[in-house]
Amino acid sequence: MKNPRTLGKYTLVTGMSLLSLIPFYILLYLALNKPSRTLFNGLSLLPDFNFSNFSEAWESSRMGLATLNSLIITIGGAFLIILVASSAGYAIARYSNIFHQSVFNLLLICMMIPAIIITVPLYTLMKSIGGINTHWAMILLMASNGIPFSVFLYTGFIKVLPREIEESAIIDGCTPFTAFWRVTFHFLRPVTAAVVILQGLAIWNNYGQAVFFLQGQDMRTIPLAVSMFFQQYGAQWNLMAAAAVIGLAPAVLAFLIFQKYFVKGITAGAVKG
Amino acid sequence: MNILRKLWNDLHLFMALPAILLFGLFFIYPLVQGIGISLTDSNGMTAPRFIGLHNFADFFHDARAKRDVYNTVFFAIGSAPLLNLFGFLYALILDRPFKGKGFVRAVVYLPAVISPLIMGYVWYFILQPDRGFLYHLLASLHLGTGGSDWLGNAHSALIVLVFINVWQFVGMTMIIYLAGLQSIPKELYEAGEIDGAGYLKSLWYITIPMVVQSIKINVVTNIIGSLSVFEVIIALTDGGPGYSTESLSIYILRMLYGSFTGYSTAVAMILFAMIIIPVFIFMRYINKKEFEM
Repeated sequence: MKNPRTLGKYTLVTGMSLLSLIPFYILLYLALNKPSRTLFNGLSLLPDFNFSNFSEAWESSRMGLATLNSLIITIGGAFLIILVASSAGYAIARYSNIFHQSVFNLLLICMMIPAIIITVPLYTLMKSIGGINTHWAMILLMASNGIPFSVFLYTGFIKVLPREIEESAIIDGCTPFTAFWRVTFHFLRPVTAAVVILQGLAIWNNYGQAVFFLQGQDMRTIPLAVSMFFQQYGAQWNLMAAAAVIGLAPAVLAFLIFQKYFVKGITAGAVKG
Repeated sequence: MNILRKLWNDLHLFMALPAILLFGLFFIYPLVQGIGISLTDSNGMTAPRFIGLHNFADFFHDARAKRDVYNTVFFAIGSAPLLNLFGFLYALILDRPFKGKGFVRAVVYLPAVISPLIMGYVWYFILQPDRGFLYHLLASLHLGTGGSDWLGNAHSALIVLVFINVWQFVGMTMIIYLAGLQSIPKELYEAGEIDGAGYLKSLWYITIPMVVQSIKINVVTNIIGSLSVFEVIIALTDGGPGYSTESLSIYILRMLYGSFTGYSTAVAMILFAMIIIPVFIFMRYINKKEFEM
């Protein structure tokens, strides 16, 4: 920090970081206090470091089961999205014809439609295929939600990827289909990482549709479990905060691990393509 | 055997099919059906009757719906420009080299990683009248806390909701702008410097035109996201007091729970139109601009 400019810049970015972190701090502060403590009074900024809130919240709202449900649906959904969106992106980017062009345009338009709009007919559909309160139907639904943006990212990325990547494999006897899975797919890693983070988080955090299609107590996902907590235990802030911390910790961890690829993938897929 | 071989060789032509089938079944099909349901008096129990555009006519005489349209549009007009302004400023600041750049970027993005529902609950803790964090902060700094019921009053509640939305998604907008900034070749700025362009001039004539793709993505996602706002309101005010902060998405859900299935679907179609029209106008405008450059 040699001159006032640098000092100013560091003050600025410290302020930006604090602004983003304060609510996280407050959540942790609440989650670590003893239930008897008068909150924030006198603004003593250190909590009691009382970790028993976590175990109590974990047991009373069956967070273990909710975590398992969330994991199954998130991993299943993200896996399916990668599978179908990458191959669709490949077909659209490499074999341009009226059909593929229309599919791409249709997906672009559908990106603008919020999920709530189709809730009623979707409920009828889910009922008729026996998909209410099942993992498999929720996985299919979450995957279909993620298809438009993921295909958009993959198409943009594959369009700027040189054709030679798979051409040599085709000369060596691969069909274009096998060449894609054996060769091109490995070059898509940055977009795949971005898709995993974006769609994984969207599925993990999904509340609006989970409320409708996962009504069974045993099928609750994390957002449902946390919201139940808030609606049922009016005054127990410590437990509610602990439940919320349990619910968001996996998302924060996953993001911090993958965030490097994330920026790369967004740059490559959405901005350049 | 030959047919099988040929099919195997041409398999790549069908690679978009799984995505189309899945998306068709779980999105397009319900969407088309929804248009049909919106034209009936369906209530989920008795057999639906076709009533034409009756639901849509009802909407225009529904005082609660009018209030919700106002709230939704207020929220969007507040959120979308602020998100873009701050997202762009954040990106400009964090694009410059300094120690800990990656860390600050991740921290600023972090709120967007968490569900708006949970973040909403946290803000509820902060904003509680008479005992929340902000109340105690203001009190101990002797700044006065008379009007501390920020969520209890319709007007301040809407403004608070806009602020929280901007706070949560500024990182998301920033990342897209950062990606755009990083794809600008440095030679352009060098050329600008030789031509005597200062910081503001090169910002206006080089940076902004070069991040058009980012502007497009951000404006469109911000319009969609803010017009379909739902979770943050559920967590903070639940639409109240009264219906004063209710958004159209919440109204659609409430009507659905109240078994007004046909009407609810009609309102959903209106929300769809409210999103797609500004997006199309914006896209036309920006594509024209791009063409001129």
